[in-house]
Amino acid sequence: MDLDFTRAEQDFRAEVRAWLAAHVPDPPLPSMDTAEGFEAHREWERLLAAESYSVVSWPREYGGRGASLVEWLIFEEEYWAAGAPGRVGQNGIFLLAPTLFTTGTAAQRDRFLVRMARADDVWAQAWSEPEAGSDLASLRSRAERVDGGWRLYGQKTWSSRAGYADWGFGLFRSDPESARHRGLTYFMFPLRDVTVRPIAQLDGEHGFAELFFDGVFVPDDQVLGAPGEGWRIAMATTSSERGLTLRSPGRFLATADRLVRLARTLNPDPVLADQVARAWLDAEAYRLHTFGTARRLAAGEEIGSASSMGKVFWSELDVRMHTLALQLLGQRGLLSGGAPDSADGGRWLDGFLFSLAGTIYAGTNEIQRNIIAERVLGLPR
Amino acid sequence: MNFAFSDDQLALAATVKDVLRAHCPPRAVRDAGLDGDRTPAWAHLAKAGLFGMLVPERYDGMGLGVTDAVLAFEETGRAALPGPVAETAAAAPVLLAGDPAAASSVLPGVAAGTTIVSVRLGDQVYAPDADLVDLLILEEDGELHAVPAEAVRLTPQPGVDPVRRLFAAAFDPSPGTRLAHAGPGALRGVTIAVAAQLIGLARHLLETTVGYARTRRQFGAAVGTFQAVKHQLADVAIAIDFAAPLVYAAAFAADRDLPSADRDVSAAKAAAGEAADRAARVALQVHGAIGYTGELDLRLWLARVWSLASAYGNTGLHRSRLRSAILGTPELRRWP
Repeated sequence: MDLDFTRAEQDFRAEVRAWLAAHVPDPPLPSMDTAEGFEAHREWERLLAAESYSVVSWPREYGGRGASLVEWLIFEEEYWAAGAPGRVGQNGIFLLAPTLFTTGTAAQRDRFLVRMARADDVWAQAWSEPEAGSDLASLRSRAERVDGGWRLYGQKTWSSRAGYADWGFGLFRSDPESARHRGLTYFMFPLRDVTVRPIAQLDGEHGFAELFFDGVFVPDDQVLGAPGEGWRIAMATTSSERGLTLRSPGRFLATADRLVRLARTLNPDPVLADQVARAWLDAEAYRLHTFGTARRLAAGEEIGSASSMGKVFWSELDVRMHTLALQLLGQRGLLSGGAPDSADGGRWLDGFLFSLAGTIYAGTNEIQRNIIAERVLGLPR
Repeated sequence: MNFAFSDDQLALAATVKDVLRAHCPPRAVRDAGLDGDRTPAWAHLAKAGLFGMLVPERYDGMGLGVTDAVLAFEETGRAALPGPVAETAAAAPVLLAGDPAAASSVLPGVAAGTTIVSVRLGDQVYAPDADLVDLLILEEDGELHAVPAEAVRLTPQPGVDPVRRLFAAAFDPSPGTRLAHAGPGALRGVTIAVAAQLIGLARHLLETTVGYARTRRQFGAAVGTFQAVKHQLADVAIAIDFAAPLVYAAAFAADRDLPSADRDVSAAKAAAGEAADRAARVALQVHGAIGYTGELDLRLWLARVWSLASAYGNTGLHRSRLRSAILGTPELRRWP
């Protein structure tokens, strides 16, 4: 057990910190869920990619730095502490790319990964359907075999970034005789061939969209893994979404530090002060826990269903931190960024609304608790 | 950054676990709460080195740090090992180390397992298991005193835990009993040891309760199939999983005497206390009425949780310290 960072890790942190201090946009970029903001975020990703900072843990040949998991966690701590923009490409980088690395063909990796790292292609996920949310295996969108590929039919929804993204990935039922987890295939498709209807979210922005497939042709070389194997392949991806990759501690550490700074300026009563201190420590617990997870992954262990514990922990912590900030701010906390008296440009309000999605997406926390009970603790189904 | 225990650290804990499995089954804990042996397994644990872990090598100990020992303490909690374990193995070596005369006369016996020690320090008003010990280290008017058991007048204060028994301790302070000051941070080791024991207790309670929920049937199904039960147990698992790293990190901070050490120790004790408290609460609820009886050994683990959660600063005290430390420190630094 050694909680000191090595010389090399400290040097990496210093390098990242210096670069971010010189490059993080000020004022912040407009929301990535607007046309203008989306393109601004794409430009930011290109700036990151030019220094190989957009995907530090990827191999160099695909635009990364071959960084260790610990270095990636350091990068994330610095990234969010610097107030850098949200990652418009995160669904592709954190959900699809791990699967391309494990299951994709060499040709698919060459074709998609470098463009993803540079945000030349921004990817949107197409998992949920109107009748298949937490119960994803009940999905009904289908794929029909045709000469040289497949045609996709049906409807997907809650597809983040799909309003402006370039490509999509998701599961379709390719065997009409199949049920539940069998007979599903993993497809990648350009969104220009799909009818996209943006949906306004709780924050008023069009962060996700519905996708309508009316016989969209997808060639065989855009199938990820073997036909019929989609469920197993996708589960490896969602395990990443819940696990280390999508929600690194850096984001919550930065929020916790901002919360403590806010509390200090407002001199709260002991009840709120106690909750602020608790939230700060919970962020620290998540950080330490993740360093432990990184160590186990580096040693070749699988994390599997235990990633559900992290998902419940960070998503509920995020809601708590933002709720606390709004309580500390009182009425001002509920003002949008455009209001003359808004606090911190409306960031706490935006963060609060965003945090409310966290306990729902990537499998609701109720589903996560079932997974923990059944697969980690071994309780009967 | 390598947040993992070494093979040596894991091996020490595994040895302690094996000894406890062989010599401290739940029946031994039950007997300790009646008229049985109140220090079961202690002779075997002494041979395994448990009491000498933190004793410096010049006093015949292993000279290890709290980080090396923390998993072994966790195992003593899991087994609900009776006797003043944290006091003898974690408090005494630190408190006596600053006083060479006392250290050389007492610590070799501690390491060998022949000298048992209890303490009454900080916010604690009673000494646990004081009737079993050879020596008490007592705080009086801000001074520490090492007092042979025969010079202490004990008054039993029976309470919720029939195994970890509490005693009021009176003595006549004199220059001869006074210890050289142990310095700031003297309570860190014992507080972390108790936090680790709370983690171990919580792990046992979770495991036992999951076992019960798998087999107990109502409405034609194992009660563990009900989501209302599952989700409570999942929350216990989460609480333990995120409290344990704070305990391990506090051990590292204490060994290095980091500026954040006192804050980290408070974080460890508060988080471990809350996780264990939740584990105890859910264990009782899921067991239902049978858990509320003396028929099961469950009550012994519940009582130990309550007893240790209040030892060396209860959760409220440590939360209060954390509030001051986090909101009162101008620069909170998680990294260099």
